[in-house]
Amino acid sequence: MITAGLSENARTRTDPGFPVLTAQLAPALLVVLGLFGGGLFLGALQSLGYLPSVGMRVYSLKHFNNIIADPDFLKNLGLTFYISSISTGIAAVIGVLAAMAMTGYRTTRRVVNFVFQIPLTVPHLVIATAVIFMLSPSGLASRALQAIGLIDNPSQFPLMVNDSWGVGIIITYVWKEVPFITLMVLAVLNNQGTELLEAARTLHANRWQRFRFVVMPIIFPSLGAACLIVFAYTFGAFEVPYLLGQTYPMTMPVWAYRNFSDIDLMARPEGIATGLIIAVVVAVAIVLSQVLVQIARRRGVIL
Amino acid sequence: MTLSKIKRCIALLMVMIGLFCLTPLNPAAGNDWDDILQRAKGQTVDWYMWGGFPSTNAYVNGFVAPAVKERYGITLRQVPITDIAEVISKLLVEKQAGKDTGGQADLLWINGENFRTAKRNDLLFGPFADLLPNQRLVDWSRPSVFNDFGEPVESLESPWGSAQVVMIYDNVRTPNPPRSMRDLLDWVRNHPGRFAYPAPPDFTGSVFVRHVFYHVSGDVGAWQGPMDESRYTKTAAESFRILRELAPSLWRGGKTYPENPERLSQLFADGEVDFAISYHPAEASKKISDGLYPGSVRTFVFEEGTISNTHFVAIPFNAEHKEGAMVVADFLLSPEAQLQKADPAVWGDFPAIDVKRLDPQWQARFADLPRGIATLPDDVLQSHQLPEPPSQILIRLEKDWVNQVLKRR
Repeated sequence: MITAGLSENARTRTDPGFPVLTAQLAPALLVVLGLFGGGLFLGALQSLGYLPSVGMRVYSLKHFNNIIADPDFLKNLGLTFYISSISTGIAAVIGVLAAMAMTGYRTTRRVVNFVFQIPLTVPHLVIATAVIFMLSPSGLASRALQAIGLIDNPSQFPLMVNDSWGVGIIITYVWKEVPFITLMVLAVLNNQGTELLEAARTLHANRWQRFRFVVMPIIFPSLGAACLIVFAYTFGAFEVPYLLGQTYPMTMPVWAYRNFSDIDLMARPEGIATGLIIAVVVAVAIVLSQVLVQIARRRGVIL
Repeated sequence: MTLSKIKRCIALLMVMIGLFCLTPLNPAAGNDWDDILQRAKGQTVDWYMWGGFPSTNAYVNGFVAPAVKERYGITLRQVPITDIAEVISKLLVEKQAGKDTGGQADLLWINGENFRTAKRNDLLFGPFADLLPNQRLVDWSRPSVFNDFGEPVESLESPWGSAQVVMIYDNVRTPNPPRSMRDLLDWVRNHPGRFAYPAPPDFTGSVFVRHVFYHVSGDVGAWQGPMDESRYTKTAAESFRILRELAPSLWRGGKTYPENPERLSQLFADGEVDFAISYHPAEASKKISDGLYPGSVRTFVFEEGTISNTHFVAIPFNAEHKEGAMVVADFLLSPEAQLQKADPAVWGDFPAIDVKRLDPQWQARFADLPRGIATLPDDVLQSHQLPEPPSQILIRLEKDWVNQVLKRR
C-alpha cells in the first residue's frame, strides 16, 4: 500500500513535480511496466492467435469466443466468483470484529501484531498442503475424531477437501486474509481514537448503533479497499484451488493452466485468453479499490 | 541465417558420424566419441525430469551424478519438475523467440505424447542416440523401442528404461483381487467408493482409461497401425459409456478424482480405496521397504496383460551442453548403471538394454538381483505386456474422457 505511507504532513509538503517524481519512480516503473506490461502484451498477442512457431499467424478473436462460448465458462467463472466473494466476506467479518476487539489495547497490540503476521508470511502452498493433511477424510482431524469414537470411519468425516463447495479453499483463504483485513481496519480505528465512540455513548447509542453510525462510516472505505484487494488476489490465485479443488468444475486460473499446459499446442491461446479475462476482473477490482481509497482520503480518513 | 546453415551442416555431420559409427570396422568412430568425451569434460548438465519418484531422484543424485563427475568430469544437476510438458512449452516459446543457444535444459526425461510434440516442432537435438557406444546393447527391433507410442524414435532420444502397469492391492484387505479388467469393473460396482483412478490427462489415469479401451476393443494389435476412425469412435464411445456408468461407484461417487498417482497412492495407504495403480512394477515393493505400505501389499497384472512402454532421454535443440548430455545418456545405458537402476533397493526400473547381449558374467548379475516382495517375476511381467497405442489415440482418449466422463456431455 503506497498510500499507507502518506500522512497529512506529506501532503502539505511541496509537490516535487511530475518529472522529478517520474525519475524517482523510474526503477520501480520499469520493472512493473516491463515485466507485467510486456507479459500482458505478449499474452495478448498469443491469445489473438499469434504463435508463429506452430504456424499460427492469423489474428482473430476466435480463442476468446471459444472460451466464452464454452459451457464451462459460466460454470468456472461462477465458481471462481463464489469462492472469492465468500472467502472475502468471511474474512471481512472476522477481520472487522477482531480489529474492533483490539482497538485501544496498546499493550496487547505487539503480541497480536506478531501472531497476525504469521499467516501473512506463510505461503498459500504450505497452508493448502496443511489443510489436506488436517482436513481430508483420512487426515489428522478425522483420525482424532475416530480415536475418540465420534465417528466410525473416514467416510463419516465431512468433506472439506476436493469438495463441491470449495470448503477447504475458503478455509485456506480466510486463514490467510483475516490478518490483512484486520491490520488495515485496525490502523484506521486506532488513528481515529475512541472519542467519537465515547460521544456516541453519552448520547445513549446502543452497541449496534455505535457500530452502524460511527465505526462503519469510518472504516468503510479502507475495509472496502482491503476486501477488493483480497478479492482480486483470490480470484487470480492458482495453487490453492489446484490442490484443494474438485477436478471439475474448476476455477478460472486452474482452467487457464489446464489449457496452457495442454499437450495440444492449439489450446495454448485459449489458456492465455482465460488468463487475460482473469486479468480484466482483477484490474477492475484494483481500480475500484483505488476509488475507495480516494473517497477515504477526501473524507479525511487516512489510510 | 548463416548460423542456422552452420547448424544444419553440423547436424548433417552428426548424422554422417552416426552412420560411420554403425559401421563396425570404421577406425574413426572411436575418435569421434573421444572428441565428444573431451568436450564434455567440465560441462554442467541440467537434467529436467519428473521429480515425483523419490527412488529415481536418489538414483540420479546418489549414483549417476557422482559417477559421471568422477569418470567424465561432468557435473550433473537434476532439475525436478512435475510435468515435462511444461518444459516442452518453454522450449516452444524459446524456439519462437529464436533462442537457439544457451537453453537451460541439457537433458530431458521424456516419452510418448511429449516426445511427439517435441519431435514435430523440431525441439530436439539430433539424431544423437546412434552415436552412443552403449547403444549396441539396445535391441532396436523391439516395437516399444523403435516406436515411442507409435512415433518413430529415429535416434532423437536414447532409451533409459522400461515400465509396465501393475495394480497394487493389500492381500489382507482384498485377499482375492480381480484378475482381469472385466472382473475389476464388476468388483468396483460391488464395492462402491473403494476404487479411484487419477483424472486424465494425468499419465497414470490416462493409462487406466487405455486399459478400459483395450478391454472394450478386445484386439490390441489393431491399434498399432494407422487409426481406423469409425472403429475408434465406436470403441471409445463404449469405453466412455462404461466409465460414465462406473463413476457413481468410484471414490467420492466420481465427483472428484485424485489429481495424480501420488495422491491415489496416499488414498490407498490411508485405507480410503483398495487399489493403487502404478506404471512402475517395483514401486509397491519400494514403498513397503520405505514403510509407506504395509508388508501385505502385493501387485498383479491383468490376465489379458497390462500396458508397457520405454522411457527415454532427449536433448533440447538449444541445449548449452550437448556433449555432456550425450555422455550422460551413454552412461545411463552402461551395464553397471542399468544394473544399479534395476536393483529394487535402489529403484527397480526395468533395463532398457537387452540383457542377453551382455557377457555371461553381467547376465548373471542381473539374474541375481534381489526381487522386492511385492514385485512380480520378470517372466510374468514380460508375458503380460501390451503395447501403448499411438499418441494421437492417447490424446483423443484424454480429451474425450474429460468431455464425456468428467463433464458428461
